[in-house]
Amino acid sequence: MLSFRGTADRFSFLVSLAVVAVVAVAATNLGCTSRSSSTTVKTPDGRSLELTKADTLRINLGSEPPTLDWNKATDTTSSHVINNIMDGLVSYDLSDTELALIPALATEWKPSEKAKVWTLTLREDVVWSDGVKFTGQHVIDGWRRLMAKETASEYAYFLYGIKNAKLFSEGKVPWEQVGVSLTGSNTLRVELEKPMGYFPQLLTHASTFPIRLDLIAKHGDKWTEAGNMVGLGAYKLALWQHDREIVIEANDTYYGSKPKVKFVHAQMINEQATAINLFDAGKLDCVDGIPSVELKTQRKRKEYRSTGSLQIYYYGMNTKKPPMDNVHFRRAVAHSIDRQKVVQVLDGGEIPLTGWVPSGMFGYFADVGLEFNLEKAKAELLKAGYGPGKKLPKFSLHFNTNENHQRIAEIVQSQLKENLGLEVELKNEEWKSYLANMKTDPPHLFRFGWLADYPDPDNFMNLMTSYSDNNRTRWADTRYDKIVETAAGEVDREKRRELYRKASQMLLAEGTPVIPVLTSVAHLLVSNRVENFPINAMRRFEYKNVVIKP
Amino acid sequence: MRSGLLVFALKRVLEAVTTLFVIASLTFLLLRILPGGPFDSEKALPDEIKANIEARYGLDQPVLVQYGQYLKGLVTGDWGESYKYIGRSVTDIISETLPVSAELGLYSLLLSLIIGIPLGVIAASKHNTAFDTTAMLIAISGVALPSFVVGPVLVMIFSFGIPFSFLHGTLPPALWDGWEYMILPVLTLGLRPAAIYARMTRGTVLEAIRQDYVRTARAKGVPERTVLFHHVLRNSLIPVLTITGPLFAGLLSGSFIIEVIFAIPGIGKHLVSSVSNRDYPLVLGLTLLYSTLLVVSNLVVDILYSFVDPRIRVEK
Repeated sequence: MLSFRGTADRFSFLVSLAVVAVVAVAATNLGCTSRSSSTTVKTPDGRSLELTKADTLRINLGSEPPTLDWNKATDTTSSHVINNIMDGLVSYDLSDTELALIPALATEWKPSEKAKVWTLTLREDVVWSDGVKFTGQHVIDGWRRLMAKETASEYAYFLYGIKNAKLFSEGKVPWEQVGVSLTGSNTLRVELEKPMGYFPQLLTHASTFPIRLDLIAKHGDKWTEAGNMVGLGAYKLALWQHDREIVIEANDTYYGSKPKVKFVHAQMINEQATAINLFDAGKLDCVDGIPSVELKTQRKRKEYRSTGSLQIYYYGMNTKKPPMDNVHFRRAVAHSIDRQKVVQVLDGGEIPLTGWVPSGMFGYFADVGLEFNLEKAKAELLKAGYGPGKKLPKFSLHFNTNENHQRIAEIVQSQLKENLGLEVELKNEEWKSYLANMKTDPPHLFRFGWLADYPDPDNFMNLMTSYSDNNRTRWADTRYDKIVETAAGEVDREKRRELYRKASQMLLAEGTPVIPVLTSVAHLLVSNRVENFPINAMRRFEYKNVVIKP
Repeated sequence: MRSGLLVFALKRVLEAVTTLFVIASLTFLLLRILPGGPFDSEKALPDEIKANIEARYGLDQPVLVQYGQYLKGLVTGDWGESYKYIGRSVTDIISETLPVSAELGLYSLLLSLIIGIPLGVIAASKHNTAFDTTAMLIAISGVALPSFVVGPVLVMIFSFGIPFSFLHGTLPPALWDGWEYMILPVLTLGLRPAAIYARMTRGTVLEAIRQDYVRTARAKGVPERTVLFHHVLRNSLIPVLTITGPLFAGLLSGSFIIEVIFAIPGIGKHLVSSVSNRDYPLVLGLTLLYSTLLVVSNLVVDILYSFVDPRIRVEK
């Protein structure tokens, strides 16, 4: 028995020895790593880049970008990278609170025929990152590819405002009949289906950026890989290790002022708490997004920043489904939601919203829409036919499975119960199932949101037109459609504002198929060594002006 | 005897192929039944654009045709292109992420074997002592503690020095850039299987020690070390071998939670997100990959088993 024990003891001794050795080696080695201030990466073209801490902005993308092909990208992660390696014809002044348009690849844009025709003058001194001269044809190639049937881009509709663009996308007319042409070497003439005062806004969007067909012909879908890809942005793609990291480096051929920071090293950390850990460990310079449970602590830090975003959170109602088919009932529901209380409970800095266009944008009206008012709510309920003694109808509130949606739904459920005595059943569904049901049979009351593609009210007002695919309420009012269309073509800012006020009133107070609830706020942590970090309502992360303090 | 083993092996291989075919077909069918399509998003697409996209991926074809093409692709090695990650083939995604998960899984398995088996043997040899009780308490905690608790606690201790401030900055809290980055995730992932091994080894060793052949060996004066290694350990490791197959397949294909907590660029997150994205080719590819790993590891274990214990062959 003794030797049995002996063997066992030897086992335990060896195990303890191994553990001690591992910890000891780790402790000595790791000290070095955390102290070291640079990382070396190898690019596909065989270069070794030394990403020193002083020269590198270290960010988190949150996940692998689905694509860097700007004709096909539809998500914010992809645009995060694309907006640094590419420029559009028009850009935003990110330092301006109203995000005014500024020239980029186009130096000027002029409307004629009441904004039905636009003439754009392009810069002539621009070269791509591989030295090829930028021309107007690259713009046309990009637009044609965006809309072409074979490209199968989700954003193909983005330029449907151009004459015959939709027909081209459906394969019904040849490209020659689409209203885009080059007049002279650097002038682009765009003819639209109908007047569109905000047309230049569309050109800030990645889907409309110029493209190099020669590269796509050469590399196929792999043209977006590092080594193959070229761009016109302040940075160029140096390395893309899928699911792991992206490195972009300053583009020497950039036509504008050169970026101050040489490299941007992007990680793909999905979990916000992990990103905060890395930020605390000095391995990230910024964190975008703070989990709600940590918000209270993180807010107190001096690295904390926040910004409103051009985003709305709303409840829609299926106006064909009783009792929601009764406009008075819908108004009663809208009047009995106390948004102020909703945001108080959420405590994430959200901004209550009664209008349809988010605050911080042209077309926002604080006084439009149905405010929280119990008397009006009760009066509308009476008008809807639910007088004393009449049994109140039950209905359901659907949302896609998410902690925040759940919390908001629970608050609204208790408010409706408390204020009007309404019984609301909550139902959560997995995202794709939710979307599928929304198409076939939208529920009584449902959650949705919208993030601006570009900061123009048309992007929001258009959603609720009778022909919009995003109008899931089955509410249709041709008068509303008409006003939104007229407003889109109106170049006079004040006249346009009044048209939107009228349309908002019609949508929210008269028809009431939707109840805006709030605008969310983005929470970030930015390291003290970083200056000019881009924080704006459009959530456009352009790093060319970032400065790293020595 | 040898031809018997061959027939047995062939039979099992055939069974494995059939199982994989059924899994592939069922997954295909289930995906199509699942509500919501790959291109449904918050921003609804106009019909003609949706039609263009579906045509690009062959989703406009009748389901049977799609199934036929899918089976053909399986055989020819063309597992299709991801719908979500444009331009990346399923095989690209697997070859870029599986090695990372496999590395993590392999180290965790090794760690769990190194810790689990000796711990179990010692506990059994010191049966009913304080060591035994403590070891099993740790083992039960290892099984019971979820990795989303263990991971952050380890990060707290080894990255941020809470509560032992001298450990501050010892190990990086996340990412996958070198061996020092691997320690915490490997520990977190390996703890559970280590506990399973420890408990199982202890049980089987205890059982083996009480067997007549052990008593006989001891009575014959065989040295205790030989008794332990030759008679006890060898026989008691058979059940341990059995669970190693599926455990290894599981570890190899990554752990979603560990990969998320430590931001590891492995395959685990694709297993989860491909389903919520309805990324059909990726779901099919990953399901088949995981099933193949499981089936193959079970097959290997079965065949190894029949070497060790001929009765199994006869029974089948």
